[in-house]
Amino acid sequence: MVTVTFIEADGARFDVACAEGGSLMEAARAADIRGILADCGGNCACGTCRVFVDENWLGALAPIAELEAATLEMRDEPGPNERLSCQLPVTAAMDGMVVRLPKRQF
Amino acid sequence: MTALAELDLPFLEMERPEFGVDPLKHFAEARAKHPWLAASNYGYVVHEFTAIRDLFPQDDKLHPPYAAVVEMFGTKGTPWGRFTSEQMISLPPEEHKLLRHTFAAKFTPRFANQLRPAMRATIERLLDEHAGTGRMDFAEFASWYPISNMFDLVGADRARIAGIRDDLETLGLAFSLDKALIPALQTAIVQIDALVAETIEERRADPNGSEKQDLLTLLVDTADQGRINARQLTDLIMFFFIAGYDTTKNVLTYTMYELLKYPEIYARCAEDHAYCADVVEEALRVFNPGSVARVTSEEVTYRDVTFPPDTMLYFTFNISGRDPDAFVDAERFDPDREIDRDHRHVAFGLGKHMCLGQYIARAQLQEAIHAIARRMKQPRLDGEIVWRPYPGSWGLKTLPFAFEPVAG
Repeated sequence: MVTVTFIEADGARFDVACAEGGSLMEAARAADIRGILADCGGNCACGTCRVFVDENWLGALAPIAELEAATLEMRDEPGPNERLSCQLPVTAAMDGMVVRLPKRQF
Repeated sequence: MTALAELDLPFLEMERPEFGVDPLKHFAEARAKHPWLAASNYGYVVHEFTAIRDLFPQDDKLHPPYAAVVEMFGTKGTPWGRFTSEQMISLPPEEHKLLRHTFAAKFTPRFANQLRPAMRATIERLLDEHAGTGRMDFAEFASWYPISNMFDLVGADRARIAGIRDDLETLGLAFSLDKALIPALQTAIVQIDALVAETIEERRADPNGSEKQDLLTLLVDTADQGRINARQLTDLIMFFFIAGYDTTKNVLTYTMYELLKYPEIYARCAEDHAYCADVVEEALRVFNPGSVARVTSEEVTYRDVTFPPDTMLYFTFNISGRDPDAFVDAERFDPDREIDRDHRHVAFGLGKHMCLGQYIARAQLQEAIHAIARRMKQPRLDGEIVWRPYPGSWGLKTLPFAFEPVAG
């Protein structure tokens, strides 16, 4: 298992054990992280599982694909290092990673 | 566990015209008898917000009901029956995945944002044409907006808008399941099929067609690259028309009806374009047209109730945002309302069939509300409102409106 820390918009921190091979969104939902909505169930369609990845961990992530980048262009100004957690497969390289959640997903 | 037959459920007569006038009253009465489930002639009605959020996304246990509806209507092999049972949402999982993935890139927020200048031009033109006298049926006015946008997005002949609008009105009533509508549904679907097929054919024949970077060119190119056949491409664009018409028209009309009660919010819409996006999200909570059915693919147990396979479940998205157990002061329209996982509308559905056009719909609504608030000051009710039937695509049929016009 890989541990990823989720920091909710109100500052609450949760260390989540994530299974390698699944997505970061799935791990967050399994751990009942409230800031992750994932309305479309991981189909890169709703943009409600956004996370802001701590700068130091960007190199551990899969590169952003065109569909994910286009889906992130919602009304809010993109935040720093914004990604959709449903598009981030959990890998060993992510152990210790910190992600922050937006105040609202839409 | 309780078997369905043993439950003493309230019965909702949703097909009665008076039900559409005030469905909330009937759902409140039903809730007093059972917190989340009722019976009806359309199947079992799941009406509690939390139950909808829990049950509806279970795509592995539920499937769309369209084949059953076609069978029930006796329309198998007819034009409407073929379209309804072959549209993207009805396809087997692997085919659905391929088709949806192929087209998804053209329905992203980025693409919707690129369409905003065209949307602004459309609403301004419609306001120039219809808002000069200070009186209108707003529902009728709103009906021209999504269809004009859709015609422009695919480069269809604007002279055919009025006829196709009538066809879309008919198709919007399809899921009220009134069998008397069947002949009109057949005519409507044949005419929309012809419009879309001819528009695609003209584009392919146009030597400069590929230079027109509108939605049609993008979809034709995407279909060709993704090896999507001509029938599937035509059906997708037909679905784009059908799904995008009643929904946007009804939400826009209801939003204006709601804002009559909140003049300060309406006034701010004229000044604050970004705020209009918050207004749209709150509007989608208090109202959306859709009730969506699913059929259980296997035995499904939720809380203490077990549904056998092949049970029709009817999810009332449209009133779910008014659930007093889920939303504090649910009747109050508040665009600044806190939104979190447990308090977010489900207007565009949940799960793998979530509305492909949701960003285009949001952008259309935001642009329209901003422009309307600038051009139609001091709106007020100017006659009796009339409601559509509740099942299928609910909303206001007429909204007589008076206002002070402002030139563009």
